[in-house]
Amino acid sequence: MSEVHRFVVTGAGDPSAVLAGLAERAGLRVVSSTVVERTFLDTADGRLDAAGIVLELRRPLEGGASPTLVWVEAERLVATAPLDAPTAPRFASDLPPWPGAPHLASLMEMRALVPGPVTRSRLTTLAALDREEKTTARVVVDASALPDGTELPVLLEVHQLRGYQREAEKLEKLLVARLALEPTTTTAAANARRLAGAPAFLRSKLRLSLDPTAVAADAWRDVLRELTAAMTANFAGTLADTDSEFLHDFRVAVRRTRSVLQEGKGVLPPGARAHFRAGFKWLGDITTPQRDADVHLLDLPGLVQLLPADRVDALEPLHELLVERQRACHEQLVGDLRSWRRARLGQEWAAFLDGDGPWPPDSLDGDGGHPDGPPGADAPDASRPAIVVAAARIRKAHRRLVRDGRAIHAGSPATALHDLRKDAKRLRYLLECFGSLFPTGDVSVAVKPLKALQDTLGTFQDTEVQAHALEGFGDELVQRGAGAPTLLALGAVIEHVSARGAAARRQYAERFGAFDSRAVRGAYERLSDDAEAAT
Amino acid sequence: MKVLATYNIKGGVGKTATAVNLAYEAAIRGHRVLVWDLDPQGAATFYFRIRPKVKGGGKALVSGRRVLDEIIKASDYENLDVVPADFSMRNLDLLLEGSKKPLATLRRLLKSVAHEYDLVFLDCPPSISLASESVFRAADALLVPVIPTTLSIRTFEQLDRFVEENPEVVEELDVIGFFSMVDRRKRLHRELLVDLRQVRPDLLDAVIPAITDIERMGVHRQPVAAFAPGTRSARAYSALWTEINERL
Repeated sequence: MSEVHRFVVTGAGDPSAVLAGLAERAGLRVVSSTVVERTFLDTADGRLDAAGIVLELRRPLEGGASPTLVWVEAERLVATAPLDAPTAPRFASDLPPWPGAPHLASLMEMRALVPGPVTRSRLTTLAALDREEKTTARVVVDASALPDGTELPVLLEVHQLRGYQREAEKLEKLLVARLALEPTTTTAAANARRLAGAPAFLRSKLRLSLDPTAVAADAWRDVLRELTAAMTANFAGTLADTDSEFLHDFRVAVRRTRSVLQEGKGVLPPGARAHFRAGFKWLGDITTPQRDADVHLLDLPGLVQLLPADRVDALEPLHELLVERQRACHEQLVGDLRSWRRARLGQEWAAFLDGDGPWPPDSLDGDGGHPDGPPGADAPDASRPAIVVAAARIRKAHRRLVRDGRAIHAGSPATALHDLRKDAKRLRYLLECFGSLFPTGDVSVAVKPLKALQDTLGTFQDTEVQAHALEGFGDELVQRGAGAPTLLALGAVIEHVSARGAAARRQYAERFGAFDSRAVRGAYERLSDDAEAAT
Repeated sequence: MKVLATYNIKGGVGKTATAVNLAYEAAIRGHRVLVWDLDPQGAATFYFRIRPKVKGGGKALVSGRRVLDEIIKASDYENLDVVPADFSMRNLDLLLEGSKKPLATLRRLLKSVAHEYDLVFLDCPPSISLASESVFRAADALLVPVIPTTLSIRTFEQLDRFVEENPEVVEELDVIGFFSMVDRRKRLHRELLVDLRQVRPDLLDAVIPAITDIERMGVHRQPVAAFAPGTRSARAYSALWTEINERL
C-alpha cells in the first residue's frame, strides 16, 4: 500500500529521457513502458469521481493484449482485471469479481457507467531498487494526449512504498532538483475531462442561490430555467434508456416545474401559467408508465431476497414479464418524447423563459390574445420581493400540511394519507426551489423532519401501489400459464410488501409528531420573519 | 479480515511457496493482503527481497513496545505487504510464555491492522508449540500442504485431531488440506493421490505439482506467477486460490 506524490512536469522535453539519464544515480530501472488507449468511466452524475475513484479501460496499442479494467482509489491501484468482452462493463453487475466490487456497486447503485474522455497514453514505470533489487519507490510518468492531439499535462508520480519512506523522499528530492516539477492533485482523468470539454457531471440536487431582494418574477424564472436545464441534461439519457436515473431525474424536474407553476399564481400571467401547467402535466403523464416499469424492475432483486433460496427461481417468469413491459413502455415514451407536441412545448417554454422581469400580460392567454398593459399587469405578485412571495407560499403550504396531518388518525382511509403525501411534496418543492432565499439554518431545520415524514408516507403509498401491481402481474402470469410455484412465490412477496406498508402506517404518528413539534413550527415561523426582516 | 495460516507439523512440504504464491494471487485479484513471515528462517521474506530484520525484534512486538503497523514493508506488488521475519522469532515460544495472554497475542497484534487488509497469510514454522497454538487462535483457517505419502496423511490427521480435541486452544478453525509437491511421473504419487482422496475426501481438488518453476522461486525471488505467468505451476496456485476463496 503506497502513498503517492503527484507532479506536473512543467519543463520542456521528454521526462522519461531525463529519468533514463538519472537512472544510475537514482538507482532507477525501467519496469515497463506501454502505449494504451484509456477510456475513463464514471456514472453520469460522477459518483466514482466524488468518491475519489478513477475507473478506466485500457486497451494496449502495442502487442495485442486484451483490454484491462483498472480501478484506482485514493491514489492506490486497487485492482485490475482483463476483460473478455471488448466493451466496458455497464452496470455494477457487469463488474469483474473483485473483492471490492460490492463497494463500487454500492456507490453506483442503479446507475450505468458511461464512457468519458479517451486518451492515448504512454505510461512508463520506473522502480528505485536497493542492493537486493527490491523496489523501494516507484516513479510513473504519464504522457497522454486526446484523440485530436491535444496534449495533457505530463504527470509524474512518486509512489512511496510502506516501510521505505526515507528512500522515496530521497528520490523525490533528487527528481525535484533535476526536473521542473509542480505538485498537483489533479488526476489524468480530470485533466482529460477539462481539455476534452466534457460536460459537467449531472446533479439531481438543485444548486440555486437566489437573490432575496430580486422581484418574484425573476426568482421564479431562475428556478424554472434551472429545472429546464435539468430536463435537458437528462433528455438524451432518457431517450437512450442509459439507466433508469435519467428518466427519474427528468421526471423530478418536470414535477418541480409543475409545482413552481402551481405556486406561481400572481407571479406568472394566468393564461401562460394555465397553458404550461397543462403542458407539463402531459409531459409528466407520458413518462409514468416507464417509470412504473423501471421501479418494478429495480425493486425485484429486493423482493426476490425476501424469499427462501429454493423459491428464488420461481419468480423468473415475473422478471421476464417486467423486462418485456419495460421495453414496450420505453418504446412508447421515445415516440412521445420525439413528438411534435413535445417539441412545440419545448419551443414555447424556451421563449417564455427568455428575458427578465415580470412577463407581459397574458402573452399566451387562453384565447391567444395579446392584451395591452405594462409587464406584470395581470400578475400582482410579480414585482414584489421574491422572499416575501415565497415565504407566504411556504406558510400556506405548511399550514395546510399541519391541518391535514393532524386530522389523520388510525382509522383514516389510505386516500387521506396519499393526499397528505401530495401536501408534503408541495411544501418540500417550495423549500428546495426557494430555500436559498432564506438563511440556511432555518431551512434545514424545516426540511429534515419533513423528509422523514415523506419517507414514511412514500413507503406506505409505494407498498400499496406495488402490492396492487403485483396482484395484476399475478393475473397476467396466470394467463401466460405460469405454474403454482411462481404464483405461490408471488403471493409470499405480496404479503411481505403489505407488511412493510403496515409498518410504515404505524410509524406515521411518530414521524408527523416530529414534524409538528414546536421547534420545527418555530423554524417555519422564522422563515416569515426572515422575509419581513429582508424587506 | 480473514487470517489464513500455511501450516504443517512437517517441514519441506511447500508451506512458504503456498503462502507467497497464494498471497500474490489474492493481491492481483484485488484483495488487500499481508504476509507475516513467522518462520525465523525467513524464506518468505527472502522471496520478497526484504531484509529479515524487525526493529527491536520479536520481543518489542510481543511486549507491545512496537506495533505491527511500524514494521510492515511493502512488497514489489500492489496490494501485498509483508511483516518480515526476524531471527529473534526463533524464540517466539519463550517470548509468548512471558506475555500475559500468550494464546491471544497474535490475534491482538493483527487486530491493529484489521481495517487495512482483507487477508493475512501467516507463514508458520513447522512444529506444534505455544507459537503454533497462538497461530491456531489467530487464524480462521489453516492451509495444510500434504505430500502424497501415507506419513503425510497421518500427520494431517494428527493436526485435525489436535484441533478437535483442544477447544480451549482452538476456538473456530477450518482445516483445509491440499496435495502439494505432487510428481505425477511417480507411480506411487499417482496411486496415493487416488487412495488418499478416499481416506480424506475433504482435501481440495487443486493440486500443486512438483515443478522446477516453484524451485526457481529462490533464484528469481518472486512468486511463480510474477516470473512465469501462465505456466502450469502458476495456474495450479491460481486454481488453488479460487477453491480456497470459494470455501472461505
